[in-house]
Amino acid sequence: MGTISSDGEFKQAVGQLSPERQRAVGALFVEHVLALSGDARIEYVIQTAAKPDAGKDELARALKEAKGATMDSYTHCGEQCNWAEQGGYFVARAAEALVTPIEQSKAGGPAWQTAMYCRMARNCEAIEQGMPEGNKEESEQYRMLNEFLGSD
Amino acid sequence: MSRAQIEKAHQAFREVMDAPTASFFSSCVHCGLCAEACLFYTETGDPRYTPIHKLKPLRRFWEQEFTLLGRLKKRLGLSRPVTDDELVEWRELVYNACSLCGRCSMVCPVGNDITGMIRKMREGMVASGNAPEGLIGATTRAVTIGSPMGVKLPALQAQARHVEKSTGLSVPFDREGAEYMMLMSSMEIINYPEYLEAVARIFEQAGKSWTISSEAFEATNSGIQIGSSDIARELVSRVVGAAEKLKVKTVISPECGHAYTAIRWEGPNLIGRAYPFKVKHILEVLDEFRASGLLQTEGMEKARMTFHDPCQLVRRGGVIEQPRKLLGMVAENFVEMEDHGTMNWCCGAGGGVSANEEAEALRLKAFQRKKSQLDALQVDTLVTACANCRIQLEEGLEKNHMAIPVVGLTEMLAEHLVEQGEEGSGE
Repeated sequence: MGTISSDGEFKQAVGQLSPERQRAVGALFVEHVLALSGDARIEYVIQTAAKPDAGKDELARALKEAKGATMDSYTHCGEQCNWAEQGGYFVARAAEALVTPIEQSKAGGPAWQTAMYCRMARNCEAIEQGMPEGNKEESEQYRMLNEFLGSD
Repeated sequence: MSRAQIEKAHQAFREVMDAPTASFFSSCVHCGLCAEACLFYTETGDPRYTPIHKLKPLRRFWEQEFTLLGRLKKRLGLSRPVTDDELVEWRELVYNACSLCGRCSMVCPVGNDITGMIRKMREGMVASGNAPEGLIGATTRAVTIGSPMGVKLPALQAQARHVEKSTGLSVPFDREGAEYMMLMSSMEIINYPEYLEAVARIFEQAGKSWTISSEAFEATNSGIQIGSSDIARELVSRVVGAAEKLKVKTVISPECGHAYTAIRWEGPNLIGRAYPFKVKHILEVLDEFRASGLLQTEGMEKARMTFHDPCQLVRRGGVIEQPRKLLGMVAENFVEMEDHGTMNWCCGAGGGVSANEEAEALRLKAFQRKKSQLDALQVDTLVTACANCRIQLEEGLEKNHMAIPVVGLTEMLAEHLVEQGEEGSGE
């Protein structure tokens, strides 16, 4: 496949990767938005996901940590939303998607789902900063995926 | 609390007292069946959480003001008036320990709508300044900003743009003459923007026109939860005004329980007239699409899964068969909880409980009922159709070390749509 420059190509490319490689590239996506989260558990999840030989138990523990981070960062019903903090919630969701077993993963697979949540995290930052035109996280993800695939 | 405030509570109680309420209080046989139907009682064993007990001050007020014997007893000093201290004490019972799920009303042998009376009691609590801070904040934001969670239009537009980028589809705002006007809950905009993407994809496949109003996109109604009919009326009026302005045929209530109750069932009574449009829950609309052959899916989920019925959909709205028919399209290993449909157990977070920080520990305690149901089934996936239920279920499962993913039904259906071409607009 040539250089990826659209979501269609992006989704197809990550969908063709093995589960291990989906986690590896997804870890790069999460790392790229990590600054939006202050939760140390996310780093552990990224490290686990990036390990090519991560075992089932390790991944299950990472998933539990990611879920804990998600539940500690969501905005409760009726609570005033702080969009800066909400970015952290989506980083946690991205980490969760990253280590979710592939058979439980939503459509598109772990890497695609991770990428989407990372974009949502960046979207929260844009909302917080009053930049309604959004962000360029998707082009950053295209770049990361191109580099990842090019390093084979 | 000042004398003026307690008098406001009394006045609010007087205003909500009607023939059904008087009849309910007169006919209660003190059987206690409502206790066993309330998860706040069953999961704590605390007799104060017996639903009819939560109404004790309102009941005494009715006796003293509206019955001959009660008036006599009051005059002779044999029955003390409802006091401010009493309402302060009852706040926990009326707000923290009631999700307005309506299960108690279902089991009452004489047909008393106990939940409806708790709503009335909340009117007096609000009038006397006894509502919880969290609900007051949410309600204030709903009135002043248009969202209980402070979501402003640019934030929704930003989420919509994200959906447009990732799907290549349009999320239309203020399209006059569209067939459907989509409401959103703030919970979806903030925590589950995937819902909006699912809706965009499904309506594209169905070929139906839809729109979001930039003037009234919020579905939830804090006035219903806190117990203020005036505020509930104002919030309903905004939606009605927007729907009339855009001349839509149907307003769609999203995956939210109480929003559906508010706009569909209570709305016309609140504003005092019928709507010139229909109101349907998203699952009702999707099931209509299914029946008309407009919802084309492919593939089946193999995981063992069950459906958590949002209380307001089944007990207040009768939306029972629709989610099951929709699940039948995509789930081949669906199982029912022992109590489901009209007699489902609440997640523990409805009726404003989740917006009330004081209720957090009790809310998670109440979740134990749902945990028991899930333990009995041993499912791989839990599906629901209310963002508030969903986050409560996710949190409860996580706190109880249960690795069961929770998914929204609309999203699950969207994941199985027959693809209609390449997604994504790219750059």
